[in-house]
Amino acid sequence: MKKTFLIFLVFMIGFTAFSSLKVALLLNGTLGDKSFFDSAARGVEMAEKELGIEAKIIEMGYNPSEWYPTVDDISYMGEYDLIIVGTWQMVDIIAELAPLYPETDYVIFDTEMDYGKENLDNVYSIVYKQNEGSFLAGALAALVSESSEFKYSKHDKNIIGFLGGMDIPVINDFLVGYIQGAQYIDPKIKVAVSYVGAWNDPAKGKEFTLSMYRNGADTVFAVAGETGNGVLDAAKDTDNWAIGVDSDMQLLYAEKDMNIVNHTLTSMLKNVDYSILRAIKLYTENKLPLGTTESLGLKERAVGLADNKYFRSILMNADPEVLIKLKDLELDIIRGDIEVNTAGGMSNDELNRIRNSVRP
Amino acid sequence: MNQMNNTLNGIFSWDFISAGIRVTTPVLLAALGALVADLAGTPNIALEGIMLFSAFVGVITSAFTGSLFIAFIAGILTGAVMAAILAYFSLKLKTDIIMAAIAINIFSSGGTIFALSVLTGDKGSSASLKSYVFPSVTIPIIDKIPVLGDILSGHHIITYIAFIMIFVVHYILYKTPLGLRIRSVGESPKAAKSVGISVMKTQFTALIISGVLASLGGLFLSMGYVSWFAKDMTAGRGFIALAAQALGGSSAYGVALGSVLFGFSEAASYSLQFMNIPYEITQSIPFLITVAALAFYAWKKINYIKKIKNNIRK
Repeated sequence: MKKTFLIFLVFMIGFTAFSSLKVALLLNGTLGDKSFFDSAARGVEMAEKELGIEAKIIEMGYNPSEWYPTVDDISYMGEYDLIIVGTWQMVDIIAELAPLYPETDYVIFDTEMDYGKENLDNVYSIVYKQNEGSFLAGALAALVSESSEFKYSKHDKNIIGFLGGMDIPVINDFLVGYIQGAQYIDPKIKVAVSYVGAWNDPAKGKEFTLSMYRNGADTVFAVAGETGNGVLDAAKDTDNWAIGVDSDMQLLYAEKDMNIVNHTLTSMLKNVDYSILRAIKLYTENKLPLGTTESLGLKERAVGLADNKYFRSILMNADPEVLIKLKDLELDIIRGDIEVNTAGGMSNDELNRIRNSVRP
Repeated sequence: MNQMNNTLNGIFSWDFISAGIRVTTPVLLAALGALVADLAGTPNIALEGIMLFSAFVGVITSAFTGSLFIAFIAGILTGAVMAAILAYFSLKLKTDIIMAAIAINIFSSGGTIFALSVLTGDKGSSASLKSYVFPSVTIPIIDKIPVLGDILSGHHIITYIAFIMIFVVHYILYKTPLGLRIRSVGESPKAAKSVGISVMKTQFTALIISGVLASLGGLFLSMGYVSWFAKDMTAGRGFIALAAQALGGSSAYGVALGSVLFGFSEAASYSLQFMNIPYEITQSIPFLITVAALAFYAWKKINYIKKIKNNIRK
């Protein structure tokens, strides 16, 4: 008995000494959102498989009062080498906790820390160049809207639409890229811009979109979380186009309603999974630039349009030139020939000027 | 100027009227429910949760049975059962009715997501589930009449039910013995008891009626407005209904007017987005109108009471 215990103890000590990297993903929401959090979890799972790390995914739920104590507890336990969190809502929490636990390293995605203020040498921020992906979405919307080959286009109107969840910097970064992309195709194009002010109200999102379609828009880019799904329903009901965001909406709706799929051109994706896999990989190689922010874009495949069979068949059946044009634009951005504007650091006046210049 | 004209065209179009009617429908149904419960002296603030749960059960039932009729019955039963739970806790076990209602609202928000994830594996929406929607109704002959046809025909079936319910609720409250009992119990439970009315039974009935009305609003959201269930998709409509009810006072017609006022000002705020007005302002229009209407109502009521007092003094 004593011997077994001893062997067990030796084994345990050996195990802890040689154990692999331990990563905790703390989500300030729940899995199953078919979007951001699912994608982050996928990234961690890929890392588990490919890099042989040990990972734990913790769903902290949507109640903000539970986030701070959970991150604090997990950091205090000291069991995990790397703690991954995401979204702007976690910035203040990490800014407070990361300096208290210098032994632990943190990754925060889709937002960045203010490195000038505090000692945050153990935090790495990932931001996405959603403006680059949105540039392609805007170019696609303009190409489709002005072509007479696409059956739901009102090609004499030259109006496209943008439905945002809220008037906040991240959403406006989508908007700025979208407008620039559309104007790259046609400098005179008009963009109807609306903000719903809610992330969980698809009925309201649908109503806003119907109003945009009534006013002459034919393609609406939905950047509003669950609210944005109302855009797809509005497109289906009134024979217009929609562009989804974050997750591949066409694949999501393929089982349910092909009518929605056929009215959706594509979705602008943020590939959180690849960016997290990349971060963990760099971390295992000791190459992760902690204490800095990296913006990942088309080049790193961190953003991009969803390239699925429905997207291809809509474009190929109508006008294959559009597909070629999009690929060219993508390469131009990757090479740096086209520089996409960003709303980061843009003043409110500048933003209003852009919005007013394209108002229908 | 051209832009202004476009917007005005947007507001004064038949499309705008049908948008207003769509926005009004769920609020109207819940507000009628709030009215019945309120008149019985048991304010039902669980409307939000009841709507949400019915929206969920309707979608799930339609997906698993393929039958709209069964989904409809299941949705309504859900509303009735949840209202009965609220009634049981507050009337039988004497919990504070506001507390019990808050519990139901929180339970619905979490419970629907939990059930959704158990049944489908998703926690955000039922977008991957093949569910069905209730049809829209085209009224023959009337839909051929130019203006009137646009206004009266082609709406969702639950929208018609909602507007019929205005008269049904009015009839129940003011023309039937049950309505008289509901109102007397709400006015003075002791007096009602003294003439042999069972207070508990009446309040139970009133709460269940209000639950059924709210459940119709929920079914409209997930099986008409859009074709899936999403977490917390009622987005405060149950509470807006309470405001609409307060606006309308104790009359079903007043409550309907309050809901319509709210629905149309909300629809107007969507169209106003295209004018050069900051969206924070256009979005607060429905609430500003609600506050203004409440203030107007209070002012009228105070005047009315003053008048009565003066008459008594004379």
